[in-house]
Parts: sequence; C-alpha cells; structure tokens
Amino acid sequence: MHEFLIQTSWWIPTYGLIGAVLTLPWSMGIIRRTGPRPAAYFNLLMTLLSLAHSVWVWQMTLGQPHQLLEFQWFRAVDLDLSFSLEISPVSVGAAVLITGLSLLAQLYALGYMEIDWGLARFFGLMGFFEGAMTGIVLSDSLFLSYALLEMLTLSTYLLVGFWYVQPLVVTAARDAFLTKRVGDLILLMGVVAVSTFTGSLNFSDLTQWAWAETTVLDPNVATLLGLALIAGPVGKCAQFPLHLWLDEAMEGPNPASILRNSVVVACGAYVLIKLQPVLSLSPVVLNVLLILGTMTAIGAALVAIAQIDIKRALSHSTNSYLGLVFIAVGMGQTELALILLFTHAITKALIFLSVGGVMNVTYTQDLTEMGGLASRMPFTTGAYIIGAMGVLAMPPLGGFWAMLQWIDGLWVVPLWLDIVVLLFNGLTAFSLMRVFGLVFMGEVKPKTRRAPEVGWAQAVPMVALVILTLLMPLMLYRWGLLPGWSAVNWRVAISLMLSTLVGAGLGAWIYANSGWEKPIRFPWKPVQVLLAEDFGILRIYQLSVVLVVSLLSKLAAWIDRYIVDGMVNLVGLFTLVSGEGLKYSGFGKSQLYVMTILLAMALIGVVLSFPFLSHLMSIAS
Amino acid sequence: MPQKTGQTVLPPASQTLEEIVRRLETGGALLPNSPDNLIEVVGILKSYGEVLNAYRLNLTYIAEYQFLVLFPFFKYFNGEVTASKLLRHWWHDRINYEFSEYCMKAMFWHGGGKLDDYLDSDEFRQLAQKAIQAKLAGNPLMLGCNRLFPEFLLEQVRVMAYYSALGQFWTVMSAMFLDLSDRYDRGEIQSIGDVVDHILVGLVEAASKPIVYQVKIGNQTYDILPASAGLTFLMDTAVPYVEAVFFRSFPFRGTVTYNAQSHQISADQSQFCYGALYADPLPIGGAGIPPTLLMQDMTHFLPEYLHDLYRMGLRGEEDLRVKICISFQKSMFCVTTAAILGLAPYPITTTNPTEQQANHIYLGSWVKRLADSRLITLQND
Amino acid sequence: MLSALIWIPLLGAVLVTLLPSAWGASYPRFLSLGLIGATVIVSILLGIQFDPSLSDFQFTEQLPWIEPLGLNYQLGVDGLAFPLLVMNAVLTLIALWSSDRFTVRPRLYYTLMLLLNASVSGAFLAQNVLLFFIFYEIELIPLYLLIAIWGGPRRGYAATKFLIYTAVSGVLILIAFLGLAWLTGSTTFDYAVLKQQTLPLTVQVALLGALLVGFGIKIPLVPFHTWLPDAHVEASTPISVLLAGVLLKLGTYGLFRFGLGMFPDAWVLLSPWLASWAVVSVLYGSFTAIAQKDMKKMVAYSSIGHMGFILLAGAAASPLSMLGAVMQMVSHGLISGLLFLLVGGVYAKTGSRDIDLLRGLLNPERGLPVLGSLMVLGAMASAGIPGMVGFMAEFLVFRGSFPVFPVQTLLCMIGTGLTAVYLLLLVNKVFFGRLSESVMNLPRVRWAERLPAISLALLVVTFGIQPIWLSRWTEVSTTTLVSHFPTIAQVTAAQTAANSDRSEERMP
Repeated sequence: MHEFLIQTSWWIPTYGLIGAVLTLPWSMGIIRRTGPRPAAYFNLLMTLLSLAHSVWVWQMTLGQPHQLLEFQWFRAVDLDLSFSLEISPVSVGAAVLITGLSLLAQLYALGYMEIDWGLARFFGLMGFFEGAMTGIVLSDSLFLSYALLEMLTLSTYLLVGFWYVQPLVVTAARDAFLTKRVGDLILLMGVVAVSTFTGSLNFSDLTQWAWAETTVLDPNVATLLGLALIAGPVGKCAQFPLHLWLDEAMEGPNPASILRNSVVVACGAYVLIKLQPVLSLSPVVLNVLLILGTMTAIGAALVAIAQIDIKRALSHSTNSYLGLVFIAVGMGQTELALILLFTHAITKALIFLSVGGVMNVTYTQDLTEMGGLASRMPFTTGAYIIGAMGVLAMPPLGGFWAMLQWIDGLWVVPLWLDIVVLLFNGLTAFSLMRVFGLVFMGEVKPKTRRAPEVGWAQAVPMVALVILTLLMPLMLYRWGLLPGWSAVNWRVAISLMLSTLVGAGLGAWIYANSGWEKPIRFPWKPVQVLLAEDFGILRIYQLSVVLVVSLLSKLAAWIDRYIVDGMVNLVGLFTLVSGEGLKYSGFGKSQLYVMTILLAMALIGVVLSFPFLSHLMSIAS
Repeated sequence: MPQKTGQTVLPPASQTLEEIVRRLETGGALLPNSPDNLIEVVGILKSYGEVLNAYRLNLTYIAEYQFLVLFPFFKYFNGEVTASKLLRHWWHDRINYEFSEYCMKAMFWHGGGKLDDYLDSDEFRQLAQKAIQAKLAGNPLMLGCNRLFPEFLLEQVRVMAYYSALGQFWTVMSAMFLDLSDRYDRGEIQSIGDVVDHILVGLVEAASKPIVYQVKIGNQTYDILPASAGLTFLMDTAVPYVEAVFFRSFPFRGTVTYNAQSHQISADQSQFCYGALYADPLPIGGAGIPPTLLMQDMTHFLPEYLHDLYRMGLRGEEDLRVKICISFQKSMFCVTTAAILGLAPYPITTTNPTEQQANHIYLGSWVKRLADSRLITLQND
Repeated sequence: MLSALIWIPLLGAVLVTLLPSAWGASYPRFLSLGLIGATVIVSILLGIQFDPSLSDFQFTEQLPWIEPLGLNYQLGVDGLAFPLLVMNAVLTLIALWSSDRFTVRPRLYYTLMLLLNASVSGAFLAQNVLLFFIFYEIELIPLYLLIAIWGGPRRGYAATKFLIYTAVSGVLILIAFLGLAWLTGSTTFDYAVLKQQTLPLTVQVALLGALLVGFGIKIPLVPFHTWLPDAHVEASTPISVLLAGVLLKLGTYGLFRFGLGMFPDAWVLLSPWLASWAVVSVLYGSFTAIAQKDMKKMVAYSSIGHMGFILLAGAAASPLSMLGAVMQMVSHGLISGLLFLLVGGVYAKTGSRDIDLLRGLLNPERGLPVLGSLMVLGAMASAGIPGMVGFMAEFLVFRGSFPVFPVQTLLCMIGTGLTAVYLLLLVNKVFFGRLSESVMNLPRVRWAERLPAISLALLVVTFGIQPIWLSRWTEVSTTTLVSHFPTIAQVTAAQTAANSDRSEERMP
C-alpha cells in the first residue's frame, strides 16, 4: 500500500487536471438547464483527494532519503526527456501546502463567488492551476518544470481574464501573459542551452554537472546561461523588471489572487532554488539575483505604501517579500529561501482571505473609502492581525524565525543585507499597519456602514489558516528549523522586533489616528505619484519594448506592402499574362481558366518531352 | 469646436425624454405599448412571480428559522432536508436563492427608508440584544465575542431584519404578478397601460401594510421589528427596494473594474447606477454578472406563449437568458412606472394646471434620472 | 496499396463529375466525404503495416511508364512523407466537412477537391523526380480554380498571383531536375539513382539554388511570399485549411527530399545562409503579422513565420532538428488548419474578419463562445505553450538547431514570443470585451459546424501530450537522411557526447 501510494504520487497533480476536465460540460455550455455548482464540487473533491494523497505520501517520506520516480515520456535521437519526480519531505510537503491552500481557496470561492455563473470555468482553472503547481514542486526535471511554468502562465492569463468583458481585464490578461512569456521564453533559451551542454534536464543531473570540477564553461556563457535561467522565475515572481503584470493581475477574482500571492509566486522561486547550483556557476548571476532582489524588496515595499487599492497594496508587498527570497537564493541559502516561502505562503494567504472578506461586504477596494470594520467583523479582523504578524518579524510567529535565521544564520551576511532585511521589515510593517488602520480602525464610512461578517464558507478557511499560522513556530520547531533559546542572538532578535515596532508604530500613529487628516498627502507630490504608479513602469514599457515592437511591425508591414509586393506588381508579370484589368476582377473568368489549363498542359508537355530532347542532344554531341 | 446653431434643436435623446414625459402624463408608461411588449411583460412577470414566490418563501424561512445560525448549511432547504432534495441541490437543479440574498444585500448596503434608520436606533439594539442573549444562552464563546465586538452579532440581526423585510415585500409582489398573469389569461389585460394600472392598484392597496419581524427562540417570541416602529410596505420596503435594486445596485465585477486607482466606481453610493433598469443585458450568462442567476431561474417558469416568441429568434433557445433579461427590463420599467405614478404629488388624471405643472416637473425629474438607463433603447425595440 | 491513395480520389473525381446535376449538392458532398474517408482508412491501414524502424522507402510500387524519358510510375513512402500523407487525408476530410453545404457548382467543387487530394498524395509518394514534378504541377490547377471560382471579391487577382508564382516555382524546380539529369547524364529520373550524383560543388550549388527559390516560393520564404496572404484572404475557409495545412508542406517536403537529399554537400555549404534566411523569414513574418487588421491575413503571415522554423531546422540538418522539422510541418498543418477554420467560422457568422471591428465574441449567449475557446487554445498552441503539439515541435527544432546555429536559433525563438503577441492581440480584441453592437444578432452555430475545429483541437492536444506518437514514424528516416552529412552538427554533437560522457564518469 505504501509503495503503491509513493509510486502513484504522480497522481497528485493529475487530480486537479481531472477536476478541470470535469468542468467542461458546464463551462462549454453543454449543460444549461441546471447550474454550474457540481463542477465546483468535483474540483473540491479532487483537491481533497490530492491533499489526502500528498499528506499520506508526505508522512511516509519523513526521515527517508530522497526518492526519484522516472517516467519515460519522450525519447528521440540523442534527446531523452523523461519526467522525473522527486519524492522528498520538502517536495511533497510543498505539494501538501499547495493542495491545502488550494482547497481552502476553493472553499472560500464557493462563498465569495456564489453569485457568479462562471463558477465552472473558474473552478476548472483553479484545478488546472493547482495541478500545474503541484507538478512544479514534485518535478525533478527542468523540462517538466519549464512546461508547467508555461501552464501557470496560461492559467494566470485565463484566471486574470476570467471576467473577460471588463475593459481593464482585457489589457490586464494580455499584459500578464506577455510579460510572463518574455521570462518564460528566455528561460526556454536557457533550457535549450542547458540541454545541449549537459544532455540531461533532470535537476539532480544538472546539480552534479554544475558541481563537477570537470565542468569548464566559458564565464560569459555561464553568465548568459544563468541570466536566461533566472528570467523565468523573475517573471513568475514579478521581480523587477518583469513585474508590470502583477498590478494588473489583481483584476482577477480574489480566490485566485489568494493562490497567486501565496503559492504561485512560491513556485517560481522554487524553480529558482532548484536551479541554484547551475546559477552558482557564475558569480555575476548571483550578484544579479542580489541586486534584483534588493531592488524589488525595497522598491515594492515603498510602492505598496502608496497604493490606495487594497489588493494592490498587498500584492506589491508580496513581490517585496519575494525579493528577499531572491536575495537568499543569490546568497546560496536555499533552505532559508524555503522557510521564507513557507511562512509567507500561509500568512499571505491568510491576509488575502481576510481582505477578500472586506471587499465582499464593502463592495469597494479603495482604502480611502473604508474604515471602522473591526467591531463588526471579528473573524476578518483577527485573521488580518494574525496574518500580518506572521509575515513580519514578530515573535513568536513564523516570519520572525525566518528573518532571524537571515541575520543570525550560520553564514556570514554582509552588513548591507542586514540593513536590507531590517528596512524591508520596517517598511512592510508600516504598510500592513497602514492597511489595517485604514480598513479596520477609524471612522465608519458610507460604504462600510453596513458590513456583516462573511459567511461560513469564507470564515472556515480563515479560521483554519489562523490556526496554522499560530502553529507555525511549533512546526518549524518539530522540523528542527528553529534555533535553541541559547543560540538566539538577542541583539539581532531585538533589532528585528524593533524594526517591526517602529514600522507598525509609525503606521498606527498616522493611519489609526483620527487626528491625521485622510487621505494622507505626501509632502512631495511627485514622489507619491511615482510610487503609486509603480515607478512609472507601464510608461517605461510603452516607451521601450512596446514601441519597438510596434514600430518594427509597422515597418515590416510597410515594406511588405510597398516594397516586396510593390516590386512584384511592378515587374509586370501580371500585365504580361492577362492584360490590363487583371488586378481586380474585371476580366473574363472563363478565358483565364482556359489559359491556365493550357499553360499547365504546356508545362507538362515540356516536361515530358525534354528528356527526349536532351537525349537527342546527347546523341548530337 | 463647431458651434451649435439654433437653441431649439435638442439632441434626439432629450426629445425622446420629452415624449416619454408626455406619454406618462397621458396615462401611458415608460415602456411603449405594443402587442409584443405586452406578451413579453406579462409573460415574464408570470415567470418572475413564480421565482419571487420561491425567493420570498426562502427569505422568510431564513429570517425565522436560521436566526444567528453559525453554519446555515441547509438554509436553502426551507426546513425539508431529504436525500433526494440534497442530491438535486448538489446537482444545482434548484432555484438560485443566492440572487435573492444579493438583492437583500443591495437593500441593506444602500439603506434608505425608516427601516434603515430604525436598525440604528437604541430600541432596536435592546430588542436585538435580548434575542441574541436568548439564542446564544448556552454558548459562552459567542457571547464573549459579542461582548468584545458589540456590533458583530447586531449586524447579523440587522441582516436578518432585511431578510424578513424583503421577504414580506416580495410576498406582495409575487402575488400581484401572478394575479396579473391570471387576469391576462382571462383577457382582462389588453395593454401596457393595464399592466401599470394593475401594479399601481396593488401597490396602493398594500401601501400601509405593516412590516414586522419576530423570531421564535425556544418557546419565546422576540420582537425585532415591532409594529410600534411603524414600518410600512410602500415607503420602507418598496421605495428603498426600487432605489437599491432598480437604480443603484452594485457594479458587476464582470463588467466594471473595482481597481481603486482607476476610479471607475463612484465614491458616492447615490451616484451608483448599476441596477436592473440600467444593466446591460448582453453580457448575461457570462461570468461576474449576478442577474444571470435570476434569468436562469426564470427560464424554468416561462409561459408557453412567451417561450414560443423566444424560440422564433435567430438563435432560438441559445440566447434565452439575454432575451429574458430584455423582457425583464421592460417589465421592470412597468413596475417603475407604477411606482412613479403612485408617488406622484397629484393624481396623474388631474386637470388642475398647477397640479399638472407640479406633476410635470416631478415626472421630468424621474425621466431625466432614467436618461442613461435602458429606457431609450427600449423605446425602439 | 499506395496507389489507392492517389487513385481513390482521382477516380472519385471522375465519378463526382458524372453525377447528374439534378441530384443536388449533397450527393457530391457525401460521395467525396466517403471517398476521402476511405483514403483516411487506407492511411490508417498503412500506418498499421508501416515499420518505423526502417529507413528505406516502404510499400514501393514500380511500373514502367515512359521509359525513354526516364519517367516511371514509382511510389514509396518513408517516415518523412508518411505523416504528411496522413495529414493530407485528414485535413481534406475536414475541409470537405467544413465546406459550404449550399455551394455553387457543387460537382466541380468536389471534383477539384478530390483532384487536389490525389495530386498532393501523388507528390508525397513519388519516387521519381519527374513524377513528383507532374503531381506538383497538377495540384496547381484545382487549387487555382478553387480560389478563382469560390474565392472572395479579389479572387481573380489572388488566384492569378498564386498561379504565376507557383508556375515560376515549377519552372525553377523543373530546371533543377532536368539540369541534374542532363549534367549527370542519367537516363532515368529515379530519385534513388539521381541521389548518387557526384557533381562539382559549384554545379550543385547552382542546382540547389534553383530548388531553393522554387520551393522557397511554395513554402513560402520571404521575399517570395506575397502570393500567400492574398491567396489566403481570398480563398474560402476549406481551401485556406488545405493551403496552409498541406500545400505549403509540399515546399518544405520538396526542399528536404530533393534539395537536402540530393545535394548534401551544397546544402552544408549554404546552410549558414539558410539559417539566416530562416531568421529573416521568421521575424519578418511575425512582425508583419502584428500589424495586420484582417484575422486571416494575420494567420497567413503567422504561417510564413512558422514555416521559417522548418528552414532553420533543415539548415542545421541534425537528426534532432530534422525530426523537429517534420513535427513542425505536422504541427503547423494542424494548428494553422485549426486557426483558419476558426477565423472562417467567425467570418461565416459575423461577415467580418476585422480585428478592430469585432469585439466580445466570447459572449456565452449571443457570441461564439465555443469557437472563442478553441481560438484561445489554437492561439496558445501556435504560441508554443506546452501540452500542445506546437511546443514539442518547436522545442525539437530549437534544441536540434542550437548546437549548430546558436545565434540564429535564439533569434528564431523570438519569433515564438512574437506569435504570442499577435495572437493575443487577436484573441483579446476579438473575443474579450463586450460584444460589439454590429454583431449582436449572429446566427446560431451548430455542433456539426464546430466538429472540424474540435477534432483538430483534439489532435493538437493529443500530440502535445504524447509527441512520441508523432515522432515515432519519422525518427529513423530523418536520421538516415542526414546521417552521412559531414555537418557541424555532428562535430558539435560529438563534443556534447564527450561532455556527457565525462559527466557520467563523475557519477558514482
């Protein structure tokens, strides 16, 4: 039985895909007389199965060595693309996390989207999403991971495009797809190159290849290769400069945003972690990771503070957090990166559950229109507080231990990285406190005047995640990821806590204080606008990539029309054959047919007689 | 900018609006009278009446029997939980009660009327607290929660009050619409004007019907909305309902972005115009368009004559829900006409010129408010 | 057995012509559907008996015909031709099914369709270069007439342009074939014999040049492509499906079979230029596609871009890239066939193909939701999203070509990115958003009308999930085709092998 469950762990991603297929009768409009909810139930059931399966397998893998499952998929000439799955506590644990959060998000969606007739399509996409993500974490093959990352890109496109009639969605879905696709495409270049260099695309082989002393790669090639390989995760985790799509992706339904902000970004980072050995072939690449990570960690944290849209404020802070993960990978601390991802996934999901409840009862996403919800929505408020404390360095919750490890780990950290993490933590504390103050504290506004707490379908996932967040230190402890009391460097711990308190305190002083006039105006307006517009990234794109592509396409089309085709028409072949009126339909058709057939016959005649002629010629010579 | 010459030339829309005001003054309706319109309006109101009946039964059931139930798993079962009903429920072969709750939430959120004011009164707080204490007698956890977050359960009771109020409102309306259909079948309804009259008479008859709400907890009955609050049908449910559901409602996520930074949704709720009279019927059936649920429910109760009319379209049954929505909007304009006429300062048949003038201004303001609604489009269909 | 693939439709064409005209349009339709159905069955039977492990031609048939001219009736099929042969049968079946039921001159229409099918099969099967040429020329006539009679408003212009271009193509190919026979002094046009030529390199290059331009027109490669968008725009939907799906493949097939196959040394010499040519074609086609407003033109330019990948793979001429090339031929056939069907479906219902005019067609009640969903799938497949056949084909092309022409390969990969750009523009403009007022009252779409597109979509997904079902037919043949190639590919491949050997040594 045990062996069977492990051998069949490739089912874990399959459940979600089956669920997605099962929604087709409703989403394709074949079943019209009754509603689409069965599609949702099928997907919930499938996710439950997937969760149960992965939990079971996970328990068996604890304390066991890694196990690799190989599936022959495609083999041709010298190319062998086998799908290799890694069955280890980390990979299956990640699958448990994903299926668990997916289950909660889907249950939540049942309440959040109860009046949406597109439920079948939505759940189908969620199943697809979940399947792709669990596939990524189990995959031990770069090729498979790449393919699944593309699936994620596709399903992000479709999920953001879920409300396809809405005008902003139309552009948002397109931009989300294209920006991620840029990253994916560069990654594909890297995959092709790696496959050429090593002949294998399994992570384990790649690691061995990268660590082997005999591997001599031209430094420039190694750098280019590494840069290509990080492009995919950069796009997926919305790191600078491929983060354009993220802001717009918030047009999608909130239950999808829950997954996006917790586990989808984590999947991108997970692939990055797996690629770390190859990346470390080039110090330049590691430095690029550090730089991008730092830029995003601090930049996005600042941008988050300037957002008035509640979802955007939080999703920029997700990016900012992922910046930390990039830095960790750049420093070679993959275990730390995993802890960061784990704590972030659960706590950020919790925050998004809470925020979804707020949007659900206030019918607005505008922070300036909210206020005073705390007394009416205890679960939602509590969920937000616990989630926010979990993300920040706030003992005893998970985020604190992760960041403590950062500064106080066994590795030597340059001072500036300590400052980055303290700054990040302070800014995030400020930003989360700002949202809290604006939403839950303060005066009741017209749109928050009537705000009943959310129903059970939304409350149950919140409570479940609150419990998980509270249990997180215990889990970290049991997995041996916490330092002992004696090992804690109190100076570091206190400075971390101080950064949280300063950030949150400042946030509370400004935003949970009716003495300050709202909305808060920055002393220097352009800075506020710049941050609110995400450093003008949209305009930068429009003036660079978009402009170049559109100019080139216009140029190509012009050349095509006036030069290439114009030349052809000029050559006068047409006039030669059929006279004046040929270009347009003013000529006798039947004549043309006859002529054509004659022409063809003549050609064939030449064909048939030519060898004969040449035979004669050869005799003559 | 080219200058407009001639002050008298009005844009076509305002011409139409003038015509509509004139039509209202001469006993007509917002919707022009035509045989097809009559079939559509009466037929759809028949179907709507059936759906409303189901909705109101459920709303009333929830208000009475699901009072402060933490996990109302079976709130749509009206107390009858059987295996076969459960299976049908899971197969989604049922009325979409979610939509009635959606309308209730629209009323609740937009407020208006004395009901809304009453829910903020101290009298209500005391009554509600009594019911809460009684209901949660054996549940210290929730009682503690109630103490810590004083507005939490109160808000839930307010919601329950709206469940009940909307249920009572729809009780009247569904009977009125079904009666209209019966009269049509008997040949008593010949024109759109007759439809409006029927509704107007019904509204006037029920105008002062009291809105009260009590729950039974244990053996004791608790007043939530007592008769002494003086809440009445027309002013405290019908008018806020029309305002909240017909006019304002909520922006559909499927068509309007909630992105705060793009400022598509007004900060002022009174500027909302996403209601039944304004909504675009074309995206019905798609994602993020809540009225789809209602249109879906109505597909099950279409009278045969209306269904036949729909089948004759280019797409046959395929765009049924869009067609239903268009008919539904037509019928809602008839209901709105009745409401407007009922609330007019003077009877519309008055011959007194000052009264006529006052009516003219009153009607003009309504029609102007409806200028951006589907009103203009429906004039030509 | 192979003859059946030519003679069933050929005799069927005669039969359809002989049908009494009083019988109406459905008889020719069902008769030809039945006949092509029969060829599909024959292809399946062939598939059962086909041995993919053999590199030689199989099921060969040989009949003397005009011996003095060296023209014999020689047929045979290998892994290069087999997938294309099957695709010809399947796509013709789909094209027939999606043909207008009430078309004018039904007998002539179906006769020509059958004739087209027969001649294309003949060209894929011919083992005698002259026989190939005859089929290659015959195919022009029905196609020309199908565009000229059942086409759009500018059909005369488009059809003539097509005819002249392909006639030039034919002449160039003929010159190359005759020149080869003449210069080698061969008395036969047997492919197997001509292949053995040992001409001087300059002569080879000249002959290959003629073939490159000749087949380059057919493929089409920039700058010989301008007939294609016009032909596509004017042709009716089923003809576009066949044109993109099958007829363009005659160009790449001919290039590989006769160019690469008969002049390997010249090919190696020219291959860097060919790879660069491929880059130009890919990027030019893709950029031009972005600027198009007519959906059909956009898909047509996308064809130019995607056919460029095949040239890249051919230039690299590694076993893997050649396999990728054949898969790309099939993949492009299926995907562009699907896209043309969908664009045609939209056009049939809305009367427009303008991406600025159409909007919101995903509308579930009044739009074309199923066509729209399939369009999303088709766009994704064309953009090379994994899980669909396009991805694996392109991956093999890139992976196979990268060791030989890294820069050109990377540049071509940008083409896949651009594919996503224009097809997403199309999908988001035409299918997303609110349904536009001008297309609010569309006639209903029946499942029978959706069937062709759905079946193609299923094929696209099936081969995407199991590409081995596609590659297994071809691998040995393409490997053999380039096995004696002294190319850079093998040099690099040897290096790679050495590399991986080393890495294996390191493993405990």
